[in-house]
Amino acid sequence: MAKSKKKAGEINSSSMADIAFLLLIFFLVTTTMDVDMGMRRTLPPIAGAQQDDNVELHQRNILLVNVARSGDIMVGTQIYKRSDLHRNGDHSRLSKETYDFLVDVNRSEKEPTEFEGGKTFGISKGIVSLKADKETTYDVYLQVQDELTHAFNVYRDYVAGELYGKSFDELDEEQQDNLRKKTPPRISEAEPNDQTTK
Amino acid sequence: MAVMSKKGKREVPAMSTSSLPDIVFMLLFFFMAATTMRDTDPQVVVNVPKAHEVSELDKSKTTNVWIGKSEGRNAEGAALSIQFNDAIISESMLETNIKKRMAEKGYTKATEMLVNLRVHETATVGMLTDVKQELRRSEAYNISYAANPYN
Repeated sequence: MAKSKKKAGEINSSSMADIAFLLLIFFLVTTTMDVDMGMRRTLPPIAGAQQDDNVELHQRNILLVNVARSGDIMVGTQIYKRSDLHRNGDHSRLSKETYDFLVDVNRSEKEPTEFEGGKTFGISKGIVSLKADKETTYDVYLQVQDELTHAFNVYRDYVAGELYGKSFDELDEEQQDNLRKKTPPRISEAEPNDQTTK
Repeated sequence: MAVMSKKGKREVPAMSTSSLPDIVFMLLFFFMAATTMRDTDPQVVVNVPKAHEVSELDKSKTTNVWIGKSEGRNAEGAALSIQFNDAIISESMLETNIKKRMAEKGYTKATEMLVNLRVHETATVGMLTDVKQELRRSEAYNISYAANPYN
């Protein structure tokens, strides 16, 4: 009886806090909090590898966007200044033009696409072909990319509105994924021009 | 006197620190959950441009490629260099480095990774295209342009 009453001495836990602090500081040093933000793109395979022969493009479905080294932008036949990239309200002039190109039936062909519930909607076949001079700075290039992506996103919003009567953000995840697949930002990044002679 | 000595012995009891480990552990778990391991240290200076249409990238899949000014004395006038993982490489070495990275991560296809291009704002499109061509050659088609969102 006397033996069983002899309890094992308690482990001193005062160093527990020190150990935990040490671990905490280790994690604070070796990890980062920041999230990576970026604009996603898919590069085309190198020509000659496996070309998709089914892709038939009509000239009128292509919107040519050329960026000069000065930052001037030529869209179709119009010339925009660098300042036209700045948003005024919802759109910059460049994204407005691109959006109009996607929406307008007379400018880009529409492909009837089926959605759930037997609904069909003509999704634009429009492709933006972006070409920039070799000496264009990345700053301008990304801003142009940004505005073009914006145009596609607004177009997606427009399609969501026509189909479901809601904006894209209000749709449930499944609908969003589906719509995202059917209206990808079709921006083709052509190889740059070289205005200088080699 | 007796009264005085009694008064002097009355002390404030020591504050209990038994809950301190709990608090610290809680902080620890918060940081473990909310942060990710630092993958690489940038050796080049990169100011990525700002953009509106950016989305969050899956950090577990991203492989960073930096195009920026190398740090050091003559960083001001220095030409831009490419950093992949922890080393500054020439663009012709990109394909080999991507293969190495794939083996490290156990990817069978290069499309399983997302190559995040962190490009300095003064870099030229020509340089970016050279890198993109190398990526296409390595069949790493999924890329993203890193940008800071506007607030």
